[in-house]
Amino acid sequence: MAIESQYYLLLSAAVFCIGVYGILTRRNALLFLMSVELMLNAANINLVAFSFYHGNLTGQVFSLFTMALAAAEVAVGIGIILVLYRNFEDVDVTKAATMRW
Amino acid sequence: MAGAFTYVPAIAALPFLAFVVSLFAGQYMPKRGAEAGILATAGSLILSIWTALTVAGITGSQTYYNENLYVWIDGVADSAVTLQLGVLVDPLTALMLVIVSLIALLVHVFSLGYMNDEGETGLPRYYAGLGLFSASMLAFVFSNNILMAFMFFEMVGLCSYLLIGFWFREDGPPSAAKKAFLVTRFGDYFFLIGVVGIFATFGTGLFAPVEAASGTMASFPQLAETAIEEGETFFGYGAQTWMTILGLLVLGGVVGKSAQFPLHTWLPDAMEGPTPVSALIHAATMVAAGVYLVARMYGFYAISPTALAVIALIGGFTALFAATMGVVKQELKQVLAYSTISQYGYMMLALGSGGYVAAVFHLTTHAIFKALLFLGAGSVIIAMHHNENMWDMGGLKDKMPVTYWTFVSGSLALAGIVPFAGFWSKDEVLFEALIHGFGTDGILGNMFLLAYAMGLLAVFFTGFYTFRMVYLTFHGDARTDTAQDPEPVRWNVKAPLAVLGVGAATVGFINMKPVAVLTGAHIDFLHKWVHGPDEGGWPAALSTDLVTYEELLHNVPHIDPAYPIGGEQTTLIVSAALSLGLAVAGVLAARSLYDVPEPVEHTDKLGGAKTLLMHNYYQDEYQVWLAQGVTVPLARAADKFDQGVVDGVVNGISSVSLFAGSRFRRIQSGVVSNYAALMTLSLVLLLVVFVVLGGVA
Repeated sequence: MAIESQYYLLLSAAVFCIGVYGILTRRNALLFLMSVELMLNAANINLVAFSFYHGNLTGQVFSLFTMALAAAEVAVGIGIILVLYRNFEDVDVTKAATMRW
Repeated sequence: MAGAFTYVPAIAALPFLAFVVSLFAGQYMPKRGAEAGILATAGSLILSIWTALTVAGITGSQTYYNENLYVWIDGVADSAVTLQLGVLVDPLTALMLVIVSLIALLVHVFSLGYMNDEGETGLPRYYAGLGLFSASMLAFVFSNNILMAFMFFEMVGLCSYLLIGFWFREDGPPSAAKKAFLVTRFGDYFFLIGVVGIFATFGTGLFAPVEAASGTMASFPQLAETAIEEGETFFGYGAQTWMTILGLLVLGGVVGKSAQFPLHTWLPDAMEGPTPVSALIHAATMVAAGVYLVARMYGFYAISPTALAVIALIGGFTALFAATMGVVKQELKQVLAYSTISQYGYMMLALGSGGYVAAVFHLTTHAIFKALLFLGAGSVIIAMHHNENMWDMGGLKDKMPVTYWTFVSGSLALAGIVPFAGFWSKDEVLFEALIHGFGTDGILGNMFLLAYAMGLLAVFFTGFYTFRMVYLTFHGDARTDTAQDPEPVRWNVKAPLAVLGVGAATVGFINMKPVAVLTGAHIDFLHKWVHGPDEGGWPAALSTDLVTYEELLHNVPHIDPAYPIGGEQTTLIVSAALSLGLAVAGVLAARSLYDVPEPVEHTDKLGGAKTLLMHNYYQDEYQVWLAQGVTVPLARAADKFDQGVVDGVVNGISSVSLFAGSRFRRIQSGVVSNYAALMTLSLVLLLVVFVVLGGVA
């Protein structure tokens, strides 16, 4: 017996909200990056769920691409975090505020 | 047709070439560029004479020429106006071309003596200036429309500035150059408005109609005449009033350039320039440009009685005013400067009172004898090692006979003693003013008589200051060592003097109107020259002839001759006797006071009047006051308005946005969590809005 689509959507919304909460509350850049990944994966769950609902594979293929993109994004993100640490001796995102006006 | 007229542009192009050559190659030439100038002006003179002969009908059948040669800007102001450059040759042009190129040539030769032999430096610059000046003046003379005339009028002013300030390392010349430039520019400002007004009113600036392939293009004086006949209105003014306004605006430039009251103050100061420059520019040609312009567009002035009255009054007043100042001056060139202003006043008087021929005649004779006097003064200045004070001279008569006799010839002409040139022309000026004053009804006639009276009185002063100058300079005992042993001058000074000396004595014979009237012999050649043939020829085609002007003067401002004392002959004799008598009285007065071995400054007896005259009626002071007491505060107030109100509004707007920005930028905290929170909030807000409004579609 297949699980109803709305549960996937609920799961996706829950994951997304966890991601948003993480972004709004965390100050550690690594956790920041993880929260972003959570939000991205919430979108992926949506894609797969709708793909399953409509009975074609486009959404699943699309989510594969998204994952590849996420991997690349993480590589860049980690690079930025390394530089951040090198400059501020810390990975606290609120400290890197020197380039504002 | 490959006649003389094809080469008319070359008359101006040759001196321009000399300008270029002198400027860039002058320092490699043995005479530092003078060769180029002399050759070029000699070429111009030959071409001018050829042109004059052609106009006289001797070397061809075509006796006039008026063509647009070059389209400068096509279709300005919605294709209503096309700005063109062209050439107009009629007897007036031909006469003036010969005068200008002759004087320019003689001045170039004289400069060899005055500049080269004196070891001046910077000569290529000097000869380049002379060349450019000759080129612009000649081009101004043959301009066929008022815009082109204006352009070369300005070029002439520029060259004047460059040449007056030739010795720019001293204090006086640069300041005099600036003054000349600014004062004439002040007049030219009105001229410019007048030119724009003429183009806006008529759509053309042609002095004389042009036969083009598409038909005859009418000239603006003709259009103005038609407009007055048909009672048109322009910009809310009647045609007559509007033409007067335009005429007076253009007259502003004339008053500035021809050094008429109240813009005459630059000319005496311009004597700071080298003397040949004074001869060329401030006596014979540039100052003539103003008067020439009035003569050129006389058809336009002839239809405006008010403008004529203004011209006559300015002329008469300037003639007297400048002559009185000449009486007390101590420097040779200053006396000549004031006499120049005064003589141009006579020309304006003649033009204003309907004496077109008289004005052209006086322009011709004055160019000759004033150039002569200036060059003679230059010769004296060489001899005196650049000391110009007449009280340091005396007794030069025997030491420099060529200069003396030519100078006397010029002085007799200037004073108006028969039979020298000035007598014939000045007498005709006064005669015309007198008969037109009596023949014209109403205020206009009275104005002419008033101007005549001032002109007549000036004759006495002219005779006096001229011979005061001659006696102080050449007669009596030498008052300084330099005058005792003056430096000799060479052929290049004497030759131009000799040519002009003979000219000053004889050039009056071209229009001996008194003799012509008395004997009935037709020897008033100049009159016939501008009158034109009775049938066909240029008068009908160009309408710049005496017949047209006399008709206009008779029809529009109702200026007619009348002979108050008996007939024409009696009036003529009385008028001539009166002016000659006054001139002789002036000469004799000067002789009795100054022709003594040890002359003293008799003008000291004038007391306060002398102080007034020495200060030139405080004209400079009041003009400086106008500038510093009126214009500067006015400009300061305008500056305040600009800085305060105009800039204030702009600055206010920018300071508002600056302030808003400085407050608004505080949301850019640089903390990434804040941005995320803002984005999230905005998204939620957007969603709420969609929910409340019920979706997108």
